[in-house]
Amino acid sequence: MDQSAILDHQFVVAAYCVTWAIQLGYVAWLLLKWRAQKRSAARIGRNSR
Amino acid sequence: MKKISIGLYVAVTIALMVWGYYQAIYVAPDEQTMHEAQRIFYYHVPSAMVAFLFFAVSLAGSICFLAFRRNRPQWAQASDAWALAGAEVGVVFCTVVLITGPLWGRRAWGIWWTWDARLTTTLVLWLIYVSYLLLRRFAAGPQVQTLAAVLGIFGALDVPIVYMSNRWWRTQHPAPVFGGGPDSGIKDPAMLAAFGWNVLAWLAWGLLILGLRYAVERQHQKIAAQEAQEALDATN
Repeated sequence: MDQSAILDHQFVVAAYCVTWAIQLGYVAWLLLKWRAQKRSAARIGRNSR
Repeated sequence: MKKISIGLYVAVTIALMVWGYYQAIYVAPDEQTMHEAQRIFYYHVPSAMVAFLFFAVSLAGSICFLAFRRNRPQWAQASDAWALAGAEVGVVFCTVVLITGPLWGRRAWGIWWTWDARLTTTLVLWLIYVSYLLLRRFAAGPQVQTLAAVLGIFGALDVPIVYMSNRWWRTQHPAPVFGGGPDSGIKDPAMLAAFGWNVLAWLAWGLLILGLRYAVERQHQKIAAQEAQEALDATN
């Protein structure tokens, strides 16, 4: 494998890894937000009873 | 039944993502001039297509919010949730485009960035929708949703400019893959299949997180309404 092919491969790996890091990071943030909101909703439900 | 449907959709989406990855990395042949670096295309272009679609969702949500805000408050709140979800998930996909693009450009052109029409208009689009999200996050008061809806509509005006930029102006960015003239289009069937599978996979993934973001926003609206009611009850 020549130097250019190795660099090409590294750039493809970087692009795919960054894409998945952004997408999965965003989903993780959404799920944490969802969980926190569920707790708030349960607390409000308890207070109103 | 709803849980089973969602589980099935998640399973199909994951299968599509795995299949799309396999097609992009192992099945599609190397492009003649850009070689392996061209495989970034299979993530870069579908992400741009999905981002455009979700900015259109945000536009529709913003228009519906403005139309319903006086006489149908429930519909207006749902429209506002779609507008926010579309803008936020669109920004996520647009971020992917703005990171994978320079990675590809560095190998194809030898530079990370150039201020050509396609790249600049895409950056402006991203900045407009980031400002939309900052407005939603940090501004307070009864007019925030209305202001955001107006900004969302103005932001969407940049989408056709981004799409047409490499048709209207000479750019460093490659010519349109589809609909760009007699020479446009993917000629190799294996490349076309890999591209098609990845478009489908990223669309399925995007719709999944769009639905999740919408559900989170609707839950947030319900909690805000309950808290407002609680505060009202406490004062009476």
